[in-house]
Amino acid sequence: MEELIAKLAEILEVEVVDVNKKFSDYEEWDSLSALSVLAMLDSDYHIQMKNTDIAGYDNIEAFCKDVLAR
Amino acid sequence: MDFVFRNKRISGILTILPKKAVKFEDEMANYNFSPAKCMKLKLAMGYSEHRIAEEGQCSSDFCKYGLQYLFDNGLLKAEDIDALLFVSQSPDYYMPPTSNILHGQFGLKHDCLCMDINQGCAGFELGLIQSFMLLEQPAINKVVLMNADVLSPKVSAQDRNSKPLIGDAASITIVEKSNDDSTIYANIKMDGTGAFALNIPAGGFRLPSTPETAVMEQDAAGNFRSKDNLVMQGDDVFNFVQREVPPMIEHLFEQSGIDRNSVDWYMFHQPNKFMLNKLADKLGVPREKMPANIVENFGNASGVTVPTCISYNLGDQLVNGEMNLCVAGFGVGLTWSSIYMKVGNLMFNQIIEF
Repeated sequence: MEELIAKLAEILEVEVVDVNKKFSDYEEWDSLSALSVLAMLDSDYHIQMKNTDIAGYDNIEAFCKDVLAR
Repeated sequence: MDFVFRNKRISGILTILPKKAVKFEDEMANYNFSPAKCMKLKLAMGYSEHRIAEEGQCSSDFCKYGLQYLFDNGLLKAEDIDALLFVSQSPDYYMPPTSNILHGQFGLKHDCLCMDINQGCAGFELGLIQSFMLLEQPAINKVVLMNADVLSPKVSAQDRNSKPLIGDAASITIVEKSNDDSTIYANIKMDGTGAFALNIPAGGFRLPSTPETAVMEQDAAGNFRSKDNLVMQGDDVFNFVQREVPPMIEHLFEQSGIDRNSVDWYMFHQPNKFMLNKLADKLGVPREKMPANIVENFGNASGVTVPTCISYNLGDQLVNGEMNLCVAGFGVGLTWSSIYMKVGNLMFNQIIEF
């Protein structure tokens, strides 16, 4: 989980990610950072998601759990 | 679907670009994005400058100019053209076919097959495969393959997904019979369930353009476009390319039994630098063997990007020598296709402006 969160922190350009927040709560969250997440999931976790999937999670923790469970 | 061809070659490639170059910075203010984010977008995607047709210029005008250039410079004889293919998503009219219009403008012989093909980003590969198939016929010795698109008028100025990368261009590739029997390996795949990943909703018979289809609407990411505009589902297209293209190239190597080290250049369709670099990494291909410099210099003109990439990056090297190329296209349809072939000793391989 830590590794994935560190990657999200880099994309969101923050020191620490609050996993209780949603992606859309972050100022850096936009179509470009969403694409960065898609690309990271594809290359590092061999998972493909749609933008609407990512937007659908209640918070970042739920997203991370789902990614790691696949 | 796999194809194998022999005794066929490309003998010349001409790319015709609009003179008008538009800088990314000059269009930034139209996007619903802060200047800082626009600059990040520019850097990540490799946007800089793109070539846009003047108002009223159609894709066939670029083909006409290119054909005239070839005739005037003794690089092509009108009477030698046995087939004239026009691969485009921006025809002059619903009817007649644009290839027939060009046929008439140059008074080409009646023993000539004209064909319009509706294809986009894989249009160069599909066009080459069609050309090779036609050349199997005794009556056909030379095919003129035109790839052309002027789609910029269909892209909303307020669409940062598509506007910064769109380019207009045409290319003319001469394909003919040859004594060289080295094998050309090709494959193509289609998935119509993704047909609308890239589309223009209105303007056809299903949904004719009306004042209602011209109404601008905002999407979830803050882009404004109407139903008359081109729309791309960026996430679907990204996932499709990363999922399907690497296995296709692996299959091309298996199918042909060729050593991947024998590939001199990977000349791929040019959606943007981000996607191409990801593809190169996934394929384990050094990035310098897969040029990704067409969007930043000229924009993405769908099926024209591969010939542009070959003309721009290899130029006279392919006039004076031969190389093994792996070409690939992927996009609207969804369609994905790749070809491994020897290309060289060309009569011409250059870019001109119109």
